[in-house]
Amino acid sequence: MTSVIHTEKLVKRFGHVTALDGLDLEVAEGQTHGFLGPNGAGKSTAIRVLLGMLRADGGAARLFGADPWSDAAELHRRLAYVPGDVALWPGLSGGETIDVLGRLRGGIDKRKRDELLERFDLDPRKKGRSYSKGNRQKVALVAAFAADVPLLLLDEPTSGLDPLMAAVFNECVREVAAEGKTVLLSSHVMSEVEALCEKVSIIRKGVVVESGTLTEMRHFTRSQIHATLKNPVRGLGDHEGVHDLKADGLDVRFQVDAGALDDVLTQLAVSGVAALTCEPPSLEELFLRYYGDELASRGLDNGNGD
Amino acid sequence: MATATAASSTAREQTLGTLAGTGRLLRFQARRTRVYLTGWFVGLVGMSWLVAASFPELYPSPEDRAEFALTVDTPAMRSMTGPGEYLDAYAASTGAMFAHQMILWTGAIAAVMFILLITRLTRSDEETSRLEVIRSLPVGRRSDLAAALMLAAFAAVALGLLMALAVSGMQGVDAEGALLYGLGFTAIGIVFASVTAVAAQLASYGSSANGLAFGTLGFTVLMGAIGSAQESWPLWLSPVGWAQLTYVFTPEQRWWPLAVAAVVGALLVWLAFALVAKRDFGLGMLPGRPGPSIAAPGLNSIGTLTFRLTRGLLWAGVITMLVLGAAYGSVVGSADDMLSGLSDTQRQLIDQGGGSMAENFSATIAKIDAFFATIFGLLVIGRARKEETGGRGELLASAPVPRSGWPGSYLPAALLVSATATVVGGIGLGLAAAGSVGDWSYFGKLLLASVIQIPAVWVMVALAFACFGWLPRAGWLRWLPWVYTFVVGYYGDLLEVPGRARDVSPFEHAGAYPAQDVEWLSIAVLLVVGAAIAALGLAGVRRRNLHFA
Ligand SMILES: Nc1ncnc2c1ncn2[C@@H]1O[C@H](COP(=O)(O)OP(=O)(O)OP(=O)(O)O)[C@@H](O)[C@H]1O
Ligand SMILES: [Mg+2]
Repeated sequence: MTSVIHTEKLVKRFGHVTALDGLDLEVAEGQTHGFLGPNGAGKSTAIRVLLGMLRADGGAARLFGADPWSDAAELHRRLAYVPGDVALWPGLSGGETIDVLGRLRGGIDKRKRDELLERFDLDPRKKGRSYSKGNRQKVALVAAFAADVPLLLLDEPTSGLDPLMAAVFNECVREVAAEGKTVLLSSHVMSEVEALCEKVSIIRKGVVVESGTLTEMRHFTRSQIHATLKNPVRGLGDHEGVHDLKADGLDVRFQVDAGALDDVLTQLAVSGVAALTCEPPSLEELFLRYYGDELASRGLDNGNGD
Repeated sequence: MATATAASSTAREQTLGTLAGTGRLLRFQARRTRVYLTGWFVGLVGMSWLVAASFPELYPSPEDRAEFALTVDTPAMRSMTGPGEYLDAYAASTGAMFAHQMILWTGAIAAVMFILLITRLTRSDEETSRLEVIRSLPVGRRSDLAAALMLAAFAAVALGLLMALAVSGMQGVDAEGALLYGLGFTAIGIVFASVTAVAAQLASYGSSANGLAFGTLGFTVLMGAIGSAQESWPLWLSPVGWAQLTYVFTPEQRWWPLAVAAVVGALLVWLAFALVAKRDFGLGMLPGRPGPSIAAPGLNSIGTLTFRLTRGLLWAGVITMLVLGAAYGSVVGSADDMLSGLSDTQRQLIDQGGGSMAENFSATIAKIDAFFATIFGLLVIGRARKEETGGRGELLASAPVPRSGWPGSYLPAALLVSATATVVGGIGLGLAAAGSVGDWSYFGKLLLASVIQIPAVWVMVALAFACFGWLPRAGWLRWLPWVYTFVVGYYGDLLEVPGRARDVSPFEHAGAYPAQDVEWLSIAVLLVVGAAIAALGLAGVRRRNLHFA
């Protein structure tokens, strides 16, 4: 699999703030890649370096195998970008903005544009300054999805969208992915990432702290088990893969490491199981772990402190 | 009981409730605008002070001034200065001459200061989330307008007092006169602040509020010019005219025209407060119009987009330069008569080394035309920066355009706008001059005199672009060269600036046609220098990081 985005030890400083501190990011062709991290972690900065808007201070970045700084204009033919905070020209209507951005790319598929306007329920006749935040976001989204490009860079694209529109967005991303296009999706909305992304990279303080498929990540975390047994079970608490055991007669609740799961289940089966629920860790829990708790307990503060 | 509560709440609505928190807001607004206000104060008062200091030298004796008064006493000159009543006092008082020459322009500039101040604190803030945050605090619905107007009033009084200080010490100026002179500016400031307060309620956006207020300013100044030229009533339609009608420093000096300003100001403030409670937050009384759902076919490149985004400035440049050109050009006819009325120093100022007085004067005003046309080029470069930091740049920077396309497209746009402004100014000058001299050859002369300034204008624009490319954060730096060339070009003789310091200014090399022959060689050199600076600017734009909100 060829990689569309590839960065190695990427460094970007703003004065004394180090926004990217050796970032290694890898996005393969055709992948929908989630890009997560606490506020100020460096997501937007990384995307802007990939767009050639900021010049890297160290390391290497490659987009389609080329240098995003020196080949910016050429590379931009092959990508579309939705910034996290969309500003529009106050005097241009939404329709005009979408058309101009499309034509800069060499033309816009009018049918697709109109279909997207319909789906996102956007009035193209309003002037830029009279759009609400969500509607501004939609203008940029329509322009991006209408572009026939193999790569989409989306920086918190659903911030400000209502749930209905967020669902439309999810649909659009799925369609784009089905066409084999690559998507880098920076987001704080876990359900969105969970629904759309095959792989995620978690970034903190300018470094990727974890990268992999969601299944791989789940592997390192614990599932929550709630079982109603037929006979009392003994020695469950002694098992080193079991945590937070709470027994109430025949009712037991505990957390179990992924590696100890079959062992523990066998043990339960011996006692006879009347009812069993097993919840995999939610992405939310996964992130809380990476964002805060665990690192905080190791004496690190949250990513946005300097 | 219920009715009593309702009644009391309505009563509160009409009185203090909607003004709650005004004091705290006022302090906040004052802090936010202190740099803005200081800049304008320094500029306005400093300019007055400089001119006040130079007048006694320019016109040392009563005879000088009396002679000069004769030359100014034409309708065209009066339209550019003020009512004729001051002219008789020229000989007796330098102050009267100063007031006659200064109030119109300084007053108009002060009006601009207050217009921009009020829109920035009211309407434009409403467009961002700033004012929304403020309104959500325990402050009344009218308090932001009240705070803005109070701040403007304080600023107007401060400006008035500083202006009084700047002119005190001139010959023929007593304390009362100086105070009256200063308070004339206070009146102008307050009236235009309240005009803008009303405009801000009518318009849907900050830019259209500015447009309405500037339109009012332009219209009233024009009325004032007509009134002064014809010595008739339209002068009373101009707030700047009210300050002129005090006949300050003349024997006819009077205070009561300022009362007119007070009454009109009070009425407008009342209207603005009545309107602000009637309209919705973020919306004006006049509805905003929807735009087209599809872009015009021509809007298909970064060049046409830049043109579309800067065409407002282009129009502003065309109209301003046409009016300015016509105003200056109409004086050329009386230039030869003026010659006798000039002091030696003044003659020196206008003398471009040859030809008739009218030709010398033509060369001078063509240069002034170029100075003003340059402003519009610099404004376009300022737009480029605003696009970049306003977040819109992010959409374009991710499009397949090289940096030389965006933000580079603002360089050709600025060159185009400034050149157009210069040429249009030249046409205005030429038409009015040909009319006033009664000789059509002056049309061609003034047009050519303006056109040959274009390379110098372009050097200035390229310089601003280079600043944008290399030191984008320092917005003032883009204006510094212009201020320098203006001071050197305008006041160079007065301030006895040494030759080498003057030669830095490109305008010093553009020649003095029609007083002298056109110097094609130095024009070519200017073009080369301009191209080199522009290339340097593009290199800066290519190599730097873009900035975002
Ligand atoms: N132009 C700039 N000048 C100075 N510091 C900057 C600049 N842009 C970003 N930073 C800093 O770089 C760091 C990373 O910012 P970035 O915007 O990339 O974070 P992010 O991950 O996108 O955060 P969020 O989730 O809030 O969007 C922050 O500490 C920020 O303050
Ligand atoms: Mg961000």
